[in-house]
Amino acid sequence: MSSFTPYTYFQCPCTEASLPNHRNPSQEEPSSSDDDRTFDPRAPRANYSLYPLEHLFYCEDCHQIRCPRCVLDEIVTWYCPNCLFEVPSSSVKAEGNRCTRSCFQCPVCIAPLSVSSLEAPPTGLGYEYAPQNGPFVLNCGYCSWSSKETGIEFEKPNGIFAQLARVKNGGEPILTAKERKKDRERKRDFSGTSAEKEREETPEVEIPREPLDPNEKLDPESQFSNLKAFYQGQLAEASPASALGFTGDYGYGSPGALSRIMGLYTGSTAFDKKVKAKAGTMREAQDALEGLQLTTISEEEEALTKLRTEGWHCTSSASQRAEFLNTNAQFITELRPVAYLLRTKRSKRCRTCRHILSKPESKVSTIRFRIRLVALNYIPSISIKPLQPTSSASSLLQPMRPVQFLLTFKNPLFDSVKVTLATPTKTPGRFASKVTVLCPQFEVGANTDAWDEALREGTGEKRRTKAEASEGQHQAEAGKVWERGRNWVSVVVEVVPASLHIGGPEFLKNEEMKDDEGPLKEDEDVCEIPVFVRVEWEADAAHDESGLGGGGSKEKDVREKRELAYWCVLGVGRIAKV
Amino acid sequence: MSSKRASMMPPAPKPPTSLSSSLVIAEHASLTGTKLITLGSNTVIHPRSKLSSAYAPITIGNSCIISERSQIGIQNEPDEEEADPVVIEDGVIIEVGAVVEGKRIGEGSVIEVNAKVGRGAVLGKHCKIGPLCEVAEGEVLPDYTVLFGNGMRRIDNSGVEDLKMKMVARQVEVLRKLIPSKIAKFQ
Ligand SMILES: [Zn+2]
Ligand SMILES: [Zn+2]
Ligand SMILES: [Zn+2]
Ligand SMILES: [Zn+2]
Repeated sequence: MSSFTPYTYFQCPCTEASLPNHRNPSQEEPSSSDDDRTFDPRAPRANYSLYPLEHLFYCEDCHQIRCPRCVLDEIVTWYCPNCLFEVPSSSVKAEGNRCTRSCFQCPVCIAPLSVSSLEAPPTGLGYEYAPQNGPFVLNCGYCSWSSKETGIEFEKPNGIFAQLARVKNGGEPILTAKERKKDRERKRDFSGTSAEKEREETPEVEIPREPLDPNEKLDPESQFSNLKAFYQGQLAEASPASALGFTGDYGYGSPGALSRIMGLYTGSTAFDKKVKAKAGTMREAQDALEGLQLTTISEEEEALTKLRTEGWHCTSSASQRAEFLNTNAQFITELRPVAYLLRTKRSKRCRTCRHILSKPESKVSTIRFRIRLVALNYIPSISIKPLQPTSSASSLLQPMRPVQFLLTFKNPLFDSVKVTLATPTKTPGRFASKVTVLCPQFEVGANTDAWDEALREGTGEKRRTKAEASEGQHQAEAGKVWERGRNWVSVVVEVVPASLHIGGPEFLKNEEMKDDEGPLKEDEDVCEIPVFVRVEWEADAAHDESGLGGGGSKEKDVREKRELAYWCVLGVGRIAKV
Repeated sequence: MSSKRASMMPPAPKPPTSLSSSLVIAEHASLTGTKLITLGSNTVIHPRSKLSSAYAPITIGNSCIISERSQIGIQNEPDEEEADPVVIEDGVIIEVGAVVEGKRIGEGSVIEVNAKVGRGAVLGKHCKIGPLCEVAEGEVLPDYTVLFGNGMRRIDNSGVEDLKMKMVARQVEVLRKLIPSKIAKFQ
């Protein structure tokens, strides 16, 4: 059995707020029912609101815990994780979210690829300074994949992204978007002069570079751009010049579309009718020039023979295809180096008041934060450990045998806080363990400077804890704190774990057991205790008030009463199976 | 006969060796055992590398690099018959902490950090055994096999092995300047 580490999860109140809390029309009812309601950590919804304290923020303006669900993310910078180059958001929009320098991942094993020369390194005097000359390849230091295997070589060792965009696997050049457009236009002009509708293939004698073959095999990029161009053309032909006189681009943002949408409201239907009448003339792509790719039998046969001769090892795995943009790549030889995905640095805002909760330094190389309001600095942390050290090998809780746990509350605030704990007497769920907090109310000291404390009353403090400790095996007493330090307090909670027995006499069963007598579910043997924590303290009045004018010093003395209440879940251990 | 008893004796008995004069062998390399250890020319034996010929002879070719804490040779007593001798061909790099008990390590192969080549395994030419990868006992790998990750393997078609061999030779030249050789100690 794997060992169990006790945990504490905090519930973010945002889930409460989203519930229709005050559905009761009567005024006195809701408050009492709210207080009575016990948070059930086993409820399916609870999964989405429980977080370790380290994952939570604290909004200083709302005075509330904020979880990843109730913050807004804002991208501060985009950067490449490999070269740490900061990419401006404009180029992210224009060129996509991948590094456009020379950062690539191995298509076989995802390790970073390095650029190396195929030539022997220069030798002789001063060879360190002699420039390496090409051809260059990308190769993987981990699985020793090389772009040479797929027939890709580069002339220069830098700007690999741009160079790679121009070659197909095998070394044939790819037409750039511009060239493709030119080709299409040339083709259209040609066919336009010969015949209006007919798109027969005509050999272009004057340009030997690109014989436009209607059954040409296109790479995914060219296919996409051909298709896009084709449909744009179709849309432009189908819709007449708009009210503003624009033709061509018929995206949703275009003036034509806009005026049409406006027309819906103004009731001018004439325009719509025109569009409808024209809609019939749209057709589908017919050849490679328009982005249509037909799978031929010979291709399939080629693939089959390849499978037969080279076997399973020459095919690409699903994860390799997922990493790669073209999911049609059946064989390893069709894979291409994968440019690194850009990462982001994000700042987080409170969803309610829009104040910034976390803001990293925008420079990529620094890991500092400008603003970081984490809950860890505002909320007492809770750690759990068993009071009696478990000597036995099994760390499981024995059913029906009381165990005591030490809950240590550590106060991060510079003011002392009053903590009130409330737990249901029985844990929710089918197996109800009994829970008793021996000291439900106590005060935790301020998080002052450790040295200050030592100078002021260090000796007295020490003696007190020491005296308690020297008593040794003293019993945990109700209403008394177990141990106390500068900014921490330990209290004892006693748990009588339930028996994991299913069935048995009817009168012993609780409601949930009566409803469901199925076998033990996953993690149902974990003893989880919901605890309602109320923290009260007095703090300096809000900063924005004290910052205004001369009244600052006077208002410093004004103490503000603060209160924070939230549910926590303590996972104390697994109950042994009977 | 066990290596334990041998190490307890004040002057450890030297195994019979056949060393090339152009060999680079560090003073703190450890050559133990009773069978013949043959080391070829321009091979580099790093300090604290362990070559043990207690159960079978070891032959290492030319221009090999044997790194620190690597263990070459059959490590524990063979069960029945005589263990196969360990033969490492030319231009092989054995990285830090690798354990090599194989029958034949083909020319230009690389055994990466903490990788293991089991007893009697045969590696073809220019194989690469990735970090922490293991070749089972008696396994035969064809030429250009690359083992990496969690038991994944592929055949390397990049065709840059000549270049790699050249790089090994250069690496040996650099190491020759860095590691003071003490051939006399082992002869
Ligand atoms: Zn929340
Ligand atoms: Zn990059
Ligand atoms: Zn790789
Ligand atoms: Zn807020």
